[in-house]
Amino acid sequence: MSLVANNITKVFGKGHTSVKAVNNVSLNILPGEVVLIMGPSGSGKTTLITILGGLLSPNEGSVVINHEDITKLKEDKLPSFRLENIGFIFQSFNILSALNATENVAVPLIARGISQKKATEAAQDFLKRLGLGERLNNRPSDLSGGEKQRVAIARALVTNPSIILADEPTANLDSKNGHEVMLKLCGVACEENKSVVIVSHDQRIKDIAHRVLWIEDGKLTKEEEGNHKKVCPHENLV
Amino acid sequence: MLFIALKNLFQEKTRLFISVGGVAFSVLLILILQGLLQGFSFRIGEYIRKQDADLWVGDARARDMFHSISLLSIADEEKIEGVEGVESVSPFLARQVVVATAHKETATYFIGYDATTGVGGPTKVVEGKETPSNGEIIVDRVFAGNHKVKIGDNLIVGQSNFKVVGVSTGTNLVSFQYSFVTKEDAERTLSMTGQTNYFVVKLKDNSDRERVAQEIKQNLPTVKVFTKEEFVDRNTEIVRDTFLPVVRVLLVIGFIVGVAVIGLTIYTSTVEKSKEYGVLKAIGVRNSQLYKMVFAQSLVAGVSGFLFGSLMALVVNLVIDRFVPAFITYFRLIDFGWVFLASVLMAILASYIPIRRIAMVNPAEVFKG
Repeated sequence: MSLVANNITKVFGKGHTSVKAVNNVSLNILPGEVVLIMGPSGSGKTTLITILGGLLSPNEGSVVINHEDITKLKEDKLPSFRLENIGFIFQSFNILSALNATENVAVPLIARGISQKKATEAAQDFLKRLGLGERLNNRPSDLSGGEKQRVAIARALVTNPSIILADEPTANLDSKNGHEVMLKLCGVACEENKSVVIVSHDQRIKDIAHRVLWIEDGKLTKEEEGNHKKVCPHENLV
Repeated sequence: MLFIALKNLFQEKTRLFISVGGVAFSVLLILILQGLLQGFSFRIGEYIRKQDADLWVGDARARDMFHSISLLSIADEEKIEGVEGVESVSPFLARQVVVATAHKETATYFIGYDATTGVGGPTKVVEGKETPSNGEIIVDRVFAGNHKVKIGDNLIVGQSNFKVVGVSTGTNLVSFQYSFVTKEDAERTLSMTGQTNYFVVKLKDNSDRERVAQEIKQNLPTVKVFTKEEFVDRNTEIVRDTFLPVVRVLLVIGFIVGVAVIGLTIYTSTVEKSKEYGVLKAIGVRNSQLYKMVFAQSLVAGVSGFLFGSLMALVVNLVIDRFVPAFITYFRLIDFGWVFLASVLMAILASYIPIRRIAMVNPAEVFKG
């Protein structure tokens, strides 16, 4: 299994003002599986994905990624672990404003010690795969929202991580761009057998998910099958 | 990751300009102050160094040429000449006096020039006669400029009237300048007949300076004997003692300004980009890599500021030297060396607070919209 979360609980605050943002959540994500976590605002979706990504420690429970319990990893080992195993996609793209598309995608590779030349080549290959061959040297200010999110997807995938965590990836995109970006993400994930966890309000993402998990008040309340097989035969996507 | 540092730095060109400009002005201030101190010190030493002397003999109670009076009897000349190894002894007559120009009274360092030995002569005459006759005076170019004195004018020292016949350079000590008259005029005007301020001693080849100095001291217990280097050092010491504490304070201020300018600009940039640093942390960039990025930005600002500041100091020096001759600066390579190190230190100190800021960035925050 790629990602296993066991009985995760996260409490913010102390005493009578404390809030249980995630309450005893367990889940298993298989390699190549796309899982959508849905729920209302404040339900604990973002807290859960932050814990799954090793950016926040749970009060209880464990998160095992590729047989490594990241809740037991020392603080200084976590960045390297994330760099090797997890790709992040954010709601507001969060690509670096001073860098062009290629440089943004090359950043995680360079952080891993790969030479700038090789990192640039790999980044450009990935951007071309995602249909951004004409935008390689464009700054974020010259890219549309959909293009920025594709740059962010390329950055998340370029290091070949086994897990992709996406937080509201379509929230800042119109419906056409949102759908297109999700199809691209799904296509690459399917093709490379990556586990994808998407947190979103967007019902349309059900189309690319294998499973949909519902979270409310920090608890997983429902699980249903997504429409992945119907719309995402990967040979037609990329 | 350094390319990100450079891209970030060059993304905000105005901020970079302010940062580099601030450091450049700080470096300019430091170099000019240090240059002035060295220039003043060098100029005092330069005149002594150019005198054809191996030893200087003065009154043991006098500290230096400018701030205390050394009085020796001219009869001591024979006792010095009698020491084995001495080739020649010449009296050196010099003292600060009040001189009256057509416009006002001012001070000048009045030196008796013995044209036969060359002792007490001007460093370089740029206009008029190179050697004054009795009743004539050679003045410094800065003195001439400051007091609107030209060749042919008259200057009054005490009861004596001197006609300006030449203008010299390399004889400006900022607060006053050297003037040159004949040795006889100096003796008369300074009421020093039968006396001198110093003896300038030239030794025969292969003479042992230490031994000769020791013997002169034995023959004349009330004198102090200096080698040329010691005498230069004794006279420049007063400059260091008087001005160095003030200059040091100004240098520290310049340094702090440099640190503050780099620090503030890099800190502002770090605060603005704290979310981007959070993103980098989230995707797995280590803190140490981020710290290096900030330090690199700070270092580029510091070193660029040093380069621009040094260039500005050289240009300012050329311009000021042309229009304000009283401004004496002397730049040594070693001064550029330590100012460069100071610029690097500015960069190190300036990156401290931005680095602390980055250390506090929580990567989980990037998930908040």
